[in-house]
Amino acid sequence: MTTLTEERLDTALGKVQLYRAGEGPTLVYLHSAGGEPTHGALEDLASDHTVLSPVFPGYGESEGIEQIDGMEDAVFHLLDVWDRLALDAPAVMGLSLGAWMAVELATRYPERVGRLILVNPVGLHIDGATPKELFGRPPNELAEDMFVDQSHPVAQMMHAMAEWSGDVGLQVEIPLEIVLPLYKSMAATAKLGWDPYLHNPKLRRRLARVTSPTLVVRGAQDTFVPAVHAETYAAEIPDARLEVIDGAAHLLPLEKPAELAALVRAFLDEGTA
Amino acid sequence: MNDRYAPRLMRFFSFHLMPYSALPADYDGPAWVTCPNTFYDPKLGHELYNRYIDELVAAETLGFDGVCVNEHHQNAYGDMPSPNLIAAILARETTRVKVAVVGNALPLYDPPTRVAEEFAMIDVISGGRLIAGFVVGGGPEYYSFSINPAHARERFYEAHDLIMKAWTEPGPFEFIGKHYRIRYVNTWPRPLQQPHPEVWIPGVGSLETMEFVARHRYAYMGIPYFHINVFERSFRLFREACEAEGYEADPLQAGWLVPIYVAETDEQARLEYEEHFWYFVRRLLPGITIQPPGYTTVRSLENILKGAGSFAVNLKTWEEVVEGHYAIVGSPDTVADILATDIHRLGTGNLLGLFQLGTLPHDLTMKNLGLFSEEVMPKLRAEFPEGQPVTGAAAEGVA
Repeated sequence: MTTLTEERLDTALGKVQLYRAGEGPTLVYLHSAGGEPTHGALEDLASDHTVLSPVFPGYGESEGIEQIDGMEDAVFHLLDVWDRLALDAPAVMGLSLGAWMAVELATRYPERVGRLILVNPVGLHIDGATPKELFGRPPNELAEDMFVDQSHPVAQMMHAMAEWSGDVGLQVEIPLEIVLPLYKSMAATAKLGWDPYLHNPKLRRRLARVTSPTLVVRGAQDTFVPAVHAETYAAEIPDARLEVIDGAAHLLPLEKPAELAALVRAFLDEGTA
Repeated sequence: MNDRYAPRLMRFFSFHLMPYSALPADYDGPAWVTCPNTFYDPKLGHELYNRYIDELVAAETLGFDGVCVNEHHQNAYGDMPSPNLIAAILARETTRVKVAVVGNALPLYDPPTRVAEEFAMIDVISGGRLIAGFVVGGGPEYYSFSINPAHARERFYEAHDLIMKAWTEPGPFEFIGKHYRIRYVNTWPRPLQQPHPEVWIPGVGSLETMEFVARHRYAYMGIPYFHINVFERSFRLFREACEAEGYEADPLQAGWLVPIYVAETDEQARLEYEEHFWYFVRRLLPGITIQPPGYTTVRSLENILKGAGSFAVNLKTWEEVVEGHYAIVGSPDTVADILATDIHRLGTGNLLGLFQLGTLPHDLTMKNLGLFSEEVMPKLRAEFPEGQPVTGAAAEGVA
């Protein structure tokens, strides 16, 4: 396990946080709406890969969200990050929103993505299978979709948050140091995914343009995004396969880091064999 | 008592929300966004609309300076998705009072020249009695419209600029903004009040909104149902925003909206009013406070959250209602005394009374309006002599 360390990267939109660790083939990680810059699966993979995890504008301390209005802007930002890090076509792993962003890049600039790993991806609209509400839902309710194990520390924090957020019972002292960064992350997510809700209506018919070998990973108990999303990505990206990890919900890398790292390592090794 | 901010002038408005009074007894969900519209009985709605319009129209003969309506969507709390329709009726049913639409939720109108047109229609039909309210829209509206809340402020400011330009500059002209692009802006009719109607902006404590109102020399309306301390803080921050713009706020640039109930005695007032107030607080308010992401800036959110704990939805006892001045309830003397003290304290030249709320029936509403008009308003008028609105100042701010 190798801890990722934080540095700052100058981009066209401003300074962004970049977390980095390890040596070896490069893997870029794109975080979810939660803005998690690192987790156990990345620390595991960093033992034999160069792991780069840029924090998107509007999350954490990264600047530039005022210049982002949607996925097109996000893709141009990623191209800029790639160029500044002298990355040609790295392997890219994204979680949820980050996976959607990775596919947007891979459909438009397939030559800039080596291998592609999509963990519980959003980004598609499938009739009757819209992801559940993300915005403004009571955090304790959201925690049930994010984790199988409600005793996970993050799930525990979300349950605690229900006491001082949402619509009812704003009676207690609100810890602004926790609420304001979360609000900031959700505001950034709204820029990308409020309307259309967590999808790009044109993305599905562009999936055939992805040239990267692709691994789609789904948490078997992910109740936030219906299974048909991962299945559709796996079926319609030309060189893709689907793996399902049992005992994980939407925030799979937080719940099953070792299992995810093992799948990803094997998939990345296929590319270097 | 500190009288530095006491208004020299005072105007009285009767505000109506047009609430839905018959949510099923066993429904305990929110009154907003997802409250099933199968609960709405159009036959009852027919009675309610006509009754509520009568209650507003009565304000004219009762000596009020104006009537107020506002815009909300997909909810049971206030059934005026188009306040402009009601304002158009009021323009015809009254001859003297100001008709204040507080306001149109600008980001929900695309293109917002629709607001410039409809407001100008009301102004022309009413003979120049419109007060034009512009509002960002409540959090729930961003769910009901799927308009991106992260664009709420940008759209609001841009729509405002477009409307004011449409009213004050000769058409046709081209407007190319980020959110609205119109090759030929040339709105007919033009407003009767020149250069434009008086502008009011409701706010919930967002610093950006206060600074915007101060910059344009508009009037700031405090959105209700908070502890009186929160209003005191908001109006102080608004006056500071005006000072930062280099002028002292006119009391007519501030308005306080508050539920009011007057009866013969204090005991009778509470007896007649309390259950209807609780229906309002416990059945119609839940869901109103949802804050969609990006709807306000982090800086403003911090300020809003400081007041959030005191929002009326958290009220448990009548003592809390009285202590926080969430509603001013009592005999004519009691109500006049409390209002006079509070108006001195807040420095607000416009009193927007909410004389009907929740399930308060027509007869009690009319009695309330009558007692307020005959026995409270004269005392307050003596305390704060009647004056003229700040239209001139508003006009300067736009030039």
